[in-house]
Amino acid sequence: MKNAVDVSNILLPLFYFASFAIYLYDFQKGERRLSNVKRLFLFLTLFFHIFYLIARTVAFNHPPITNVFEIFTMLAFSVSFSYFILELVTDIRGTGLFIIVLSLIFQTISSLFIVDLLEVKEVLRSNLLGVHVLHALLGYAGITISAVYGFLYLMLYKELKLNKFGLIFERLPNLEILEKLSFYSAIIGFVLLSVAIGIGVIWLPRAFPKFSYFDPKLVATFLVWLMYGIGITTKITGKLQGKKVVVFSIVGFGLAIFSTLVTNFLAKSFHAFY
Amino acid sequence: MNLLAISVNHHTAPVSLREEVHLSSDEIKNYIDELKEKYFSEGFIVSTCNRTELYGIPKESNASYLALEKFLIDKNPKNNLTDEHFQKFFSCSALNHLFKVAAGIDSMLIGDNQILGQVKESFQLAQEKQFAGFLVNRVFDSAIRVGKRAKTETTISDGAITVSYAAVQLVEKIFSNLSKKSALVIGMGETGKIAAQHLHDKHIGNLSITNRTIEKSEKIATELDAQILPFERFKEYLADFDIIISATSSPNLILTKEEIKTMMKKRGNAATVLMDIALPRDIDPEVRNIDNVFYNDIDSLNIIVEHNMKKRKDEIPKVQTIIMEELINFFGWYNSLEIAPTIKSLRDYYEEIRLAEVEGYKNKFTKEDQEKLELVTKRIINKLLHHPTTELRKVAGQGINTTESAAKIALVRDLFGIDNQNNFKA
Repeated sequence: MKNAVDVSNILLPLFYFASFAIYLYDFQKGERRLSNVKRLFLFLTLFFHIFYLIARTVAFNHPPITNVFEIFTMLAFSVSFSYFILELVTDIRGTGLFIIVLSLIFQTISSLFIVDLLEVKEVLRSNLLGVHVLHALLGYAGITISAVYGFLYLMLYKELKLNKFGLIFERLPNLEILEKLSFYSAIIGFVLLSVAIGIGVIWLPRAFPKFSYFDPKLVATFLVWLMYGIGITTKITGKLQGKKVVVFSIVGFGLAIFSTLVTNFLAKSFHAFY
Repeated sequence: MNLLAISVNHHTAPVSLREEVHLSSDEIKNYIDELKEKYFSEGFIVSTCNRTELYGIPKESNASYLALEKFLIDKNPKNNLTDEHFQKFFSCSALNHLFKVAAGIDSMLIGDNQILGQVKESFQLAQEKQFAGFLVNRVFDSAIRVGKRAKTETTISDGAITVSYAAVQLVEKIFSNLSKKSALVIGMGETGKIAAQHLHDKHIGNLSITNRTIEKSEKIATELDAQILPFERFKEYLADFDIIISATSSPNLILTKEEIKTMMKKRGNAATVLMDIALPRDIDPEVRNIDNVFYNDIDSLNIIVEHNMKKRKDEIPKVQTIIMEELINFFGWYNSLEIAPTIKSLRDYYEEIRLAEVEGYKNKFTKEDQEKLELVTKRIINKLLHHPTTELRKVAGQGINTTESAAKIALVRDLFGIDNQNNFKA
């Protein structure tokens, strides 16, 4: 099984690269015949990724959530899987390359630096932690996709304002759809993050009896959660629309990344398991 | 195949001459009666704003190009058409030209969506007047197939190539569901009317129009199910509209930057599209700097039009490939019409000889041997004819190389002295 894990670890970035390349080619050429081929290839990549995650879990007797680079592979999967579902539901196929590239980056980093740990802290074997991490990653995937659609909105907005009618104008869906995709992804991310926080609050006192509610990770996560909550509420009440919504989403994403980096690598937090 | 065609079109004649030979449906029906009587056993007429074309299978040798040109020219004594305004086609080139027309690559606007429907109407008129025979029906099927394949297998008809349609294409890049949007068209001249028509065709949720003279608006409002706003007061309602298209002939600005700013405040800064398709411009171009305002004038819309025209032109080689495929299919079918009777005639010729010889000598054989004689002579004939028959069938499959196939068929007939019993001339 270890061999299967090692081989998959090498092949997985190549799969993501191939998926990205097909989506990129289709974006440039706009050929209808590639429409189904690229989706099929993404499906195969995700299928292979699931195999890899299961193989790691079996080989090392714990889910792949025990170090940063295991989290990266989980994040790569979460982002592409979320996009795949979104593409199936909306049938909007022209934006995949902008999202799959993130999975390619996350998975490449993971494959290069991942550590195979057989012995891990007991706290990391908790099933509740596994559920917490899964919801957190899917939540962050939603926020990430929301930010990507926000960037695409801004790109198209700029092209329209400057009367440029190139590939971005031709291939991307319209502004309203991009805004909706960004907003709905943010909502899904927010809901899943809320579940993750809820589970974390239940699990935290059991795992760390001496924790503090002022722990940097808790504070940062709460701020991100609050920001998205305010943004979503303001949008629903009609006070925020168009460009401002997507800017909010991008800023929220930036804050989430920043807080994750600070709390995992710089600040002293109970959350730094590694 | 002796399909003859003449054409007056936008390549050969200006609009002032083309309109002299433009034919309505009723005129086409009358012309068909005369063509049937004098020149063609079957055929059809295509007449649009950019072309008038006659196609047909000549009855006799008097169906020359000059005779057909004279036929058209004489119909309108005032016209100034001469021989140089006509294109002439025969057989493969006639079919090639028709396929190009049906596919939209011979149109003034490449990828024209309307031409295929117009070609269909021409065929329907010919069928109505029983002017479409066996060959023309097959020509019709092939031409329509070319048109449909060009549309579905290429992007020859994609993208806006008029300013009005480019405006709508832009709007669709901003808003997803036009049925939930409101639009105002200012100015009911030709351009404004077309823009309003496009919005109506795209099922805009709420369409309002305004014009200095209300009478002009009333008829259009009824046709397009639009509301009329009085021109003196339309600015009071600006904030109600997501899309504003201005196409007046005013020499001055109609909407200033301040007015648009005020409008955006009332709209809560919701995305608004302003299309200024007037010359001189109706809307202050500085409005493009206002957040969530998307302003376009004729120049920027023309950028879209030029871009789309170039993309359509890039698709022409793909359409030409489709045309070549269909030409090969058509002439493969056509050649097989001549081949089958020729093969049959050849077999009949040999069979006659076999029967005559067997009859003459069968009394010299016993009854049992007569059966063997039948069998052996039949096998000899089959072996002798196997190679020529296979080669003739191959010729049928060669497609558009009609000269070579006609030559081979003629040679076989000459060599074996076969009477030509079929009705199709090469």
